Amino acid sequence: MSFNLIIDALKNPNGFFASNPLSLLCAAFATLFFVLIVVYSLKHMKGRKGVWRYYIYTIATYVSSLGVLFAANFLILLIFWGLLGLLLYLLIAFGRKEGTPATARKALIIVGATDVLLLFGIVLVWKITAGSSGLQGLFHMPITGMGIPLSGTASIIAYLCFASAAFAKAGAMPFHTWVPDTAENAPTPVTAFLPASLDKLLGIYLLARVTLDVFQMTPTMNTILMAIGSITIVAAVMMALIQHDLKRLLGYHAVSQVGYMVLGIGTGNPIGIAGGLFHMFNHSIYKSCLFLAGGAAERKAGTGNLAQMGGLVKAIPLVFVTFLIASLAISGVPPMNGFASKWLIYQGVITSGDSLWVLWLIAAMLGSALTLASFMKLIHAVFLGQPSEGVKKILADKKGKRTALSTAIPLVVLSTLCVGIGVFAWKIPFGQLFRPELSGPVDSPGIWQSGTATLMLIAGLVIGYLIYLAGTLKKARVVAPFVGGETLEDNPDMRVSGVNFYMTIKELGLLKGIYRWAEKKLFDLYVVAGKIFAGFGILFSFMHNGILSRYFLWFIVGLVVLCIVLI
Amino acid sequence: MTFVYLLVFGFAATAVLGLITSWIDRKVTARVQYRVGPPFLQPFIDIVKLLGKETVIPEGASKVTFLIAPVIGISGVIAVATLFWVNQFFSEGFVGDWIVAIYLLAIPSLSIILGGFASRNPLASLGSSREMKLVIAYELPFILAALVPVIAAGGSIRLSDIINAQAGGVFAGNISGILALIVAIMCVQAKLALVPFDIPEAETEIVGGALLEYSGPGLAIFRLMKNMLFFTLPFFLIILFFGGLRLNGINILWTILEYVGIVAIITVIRNTNPRVRIDQAVRFFWGPMTLLAVAAVVLALKGL
Repeated sequence: MSFNLIIDALKNPNGFFASNPLSLLCAAFATLFFVLIVVYSLKHMKGRKGVWRYYIYTIATYVSSLGVLFAANFLILLIFWGLLGLLLYLLIAFGRKEGTPATARKALIIVGATDVLLLFGIVLVWKITAGSSGLQGLFHMPITGMGIPLSGTASIIAYLCFASAAFAKAGAMPFHTWVPDTAENAPTPVTAFLPASLDKLLGIYLLARVTLDVFQMTPTMNTILMAIGSITIVAAVMMALIQHDLKRLLGYHAVSQVGYMVLGIGTGNPIGIAGGLFHMFNHSIYKSCLFLAGGAAERKAGTGNLAQMGGLVKAIPLVFVTFLIASLAISGVPPMNGFASKWLIYQGVITSGDSLWVLWLIAAMLGSALTLASFMKLIHAVFLGQPSEGVKKILADKKGKRTALSTAIPLVVLSTLCVGIGVFAWKIPFGQLFRPELSGPVDSPGIWQSGTATLMLIAGLVIGYLIYLAGTLKKARVVAPFVGGETLEDNPDMRVSGVNFYMTIKELGLLKGIYRWAEKKLFDLYVVAGKIFAGFGILFSFMHNGILSRYFLWFIVGLVVLCIVLI
Repeated sequence: MTFVYLLVFGFAATAVLGLITSWIDRKVTARVQYRVGPPFLQPFIDIVKLLGKETVIPEGASKVTFLIAPVIGISGVIAVATLFWVNQFFSEGFVGDWIVAIYLLAIPSLSIILGGFASRNPLASLGSSREMKLVIAYELPFILAALVPVIAAGGSIRLSDIINAQAGGVFAGNISGILALIVAIMCVQAKLALVPFDIPEAETEIVGGALLEYSGPGLAIFRLMKNMLFFTLPFFLIILFFGGLRLNGINILWTILEYVGIVAIITVIRNTNPRVRIDQAVRFFWGPMTLLAVAAVVLALKGL
């Protein structure tokens, strides 16, 4: 069967693969990330065992993602989608931390379970639309132009199945929990390539295609999407605030940002959807930049524990600058690219006409402030602030001050894109790029002339610089920091690492309890489901205890049941 | 043309009005404390004096970040002030809208935080972290309160639409508008880091906090930035709740009254309250203030 399919595909590629503007754009970005990740890996993955396998898996991941993007029917999509889940598992396993095997397993199980849901959704869609055309129809069911109304139970379940698969891939709640773990335990380039960029592109691409091409959305379903998006934004960023590990913190942001994309697509109007899709591209740029820069800092410091870093700006200034730009972009500071897409999403929310739009808008805007807060903590704990004992040794070593070229190139390219796309956002023709996903033209009710605004900010910088010149900058003198008369070097306990900056928030009334539950992993679907299955296991192990009399009891019970049934 | 607006209004006019506002604030404070208070030009003289002092950079700090932080902050204020001036008086639909204004207004806080972090001083780090916590605390009620005029203007986020919608009657005349204005003034108090929310600076415990290591021109720019904010934020409130600065006929008097009124309220609050702790501030903004702001939003949605 599958052999015939391959022959068919070779004979008639159009029946199996097709492209549209959105998938072409996604593929262009996937290619960019693939190239940058390979360049970065040259230094980062050097000397690891079986590194050639790593490159093969990376290439296979890239090819599979192209397969998903250009799939013209559901079967092809499912095959490549499943392949990606497996490759994710194999790639995570290259990590060298203690939790790596468990993390890889967790990712495989969450992504694999939602693959099953995806299959289930496809079968349901086939049942709804072409149930009579037989199995052949299932294999040739095109993705476009269905417009199934979300009126019956079957279609709603089918939509939720597709959405779950998309959420698990992109990392939206409640299927997000593999993302922070992966961020912590997988090698940096893997995290930057899969959960940070490629999986976002694919997950949100699937969500957009399914939402806009396959089903006809109802206001209720839009509200559900917006609710999931808002909860994801705020809950994930609140978790990010209190993390102690550099890459785990970034991982929670990779979850939080998905919320904006889901929110944008959930608005159901062209401007919101354009914003959501635009945010998807922006996010993959700055988040992979953050992971790569964070990975470089972690490699330099020899640890990802925020309490043992600090002051790294002196050792790796270039990494600091790119990290700062990317963190301003993710926090939505104008004129970076993150602001441009968030701005579109907010307008989509305001004009959505949903009765709870204020709630979604507030969640999104507050999420942005909280994002800034957690990135300020990171910047202090990693790059600025007072260096830890370990970092002091690194700073004393003159040799360690160079950033490798293969590390620098991806960082510079990505951070330049952050600024460039933000500044020229007003030139981007969303209407043409995201067709046919957008049903109408994108006309925004608000105003954001990013070019002029950038010129204004630059003019402001010049004015500030002139004030400096009017003063006495040349006479600058370097003295020890003033700590109430003490010497900082003699008092290592005076060091503020920044890890506990948001302890105040953590211990605030209601939040205290929620945080405690979250730390017990009560909101982790994987752990909760695991505990439930373990409960069954205890039940079965109670039955199978190896004692003959107990087995004899089961035998009698079974016989009685049989007799009752038969008689 | 943009640069003329920026230089003349965004920078010069805002700076002068900001310095005058800061003089009003200091004079009223002095009178409350039975002192004479500074002469009219004192805020300006202070800035010039600071420009003449030497620049001191803490040892081991990130020099470039430390020195560039004030410049980033002042460029943010200049941009947002230009945005308000031009949308109000010259061309409607200039550069940005309500969302852009709120985001640009966060840049000064961001610059203070970055500057404090870069100065490699534990006290400055503490001050900056408090500033950050203060930002996330007041941002929630501030956005809610600022949303009330947007709802009242029929969901338009253009500043000119918000101003024009108040031609018949200002939003502060509605119940929702008054409630939102109260919340917004409290948030402005925190945005300016004035007592009782001067927690990031708290001279008596962390010796000036984020600004501790700044001296000379760097401190002058930060000072100027704060003074400019002292004008820009009340200006924003007047746009949102009083239909902007109206300079025709008797309205001039009203505008001046509104402006001085807001400044006076802020000054009186700062002179009659002790400093609160940061957790108390977070509780205050996420508790009562947010409830009040939510009530205002609900009333506004009902059309009151």
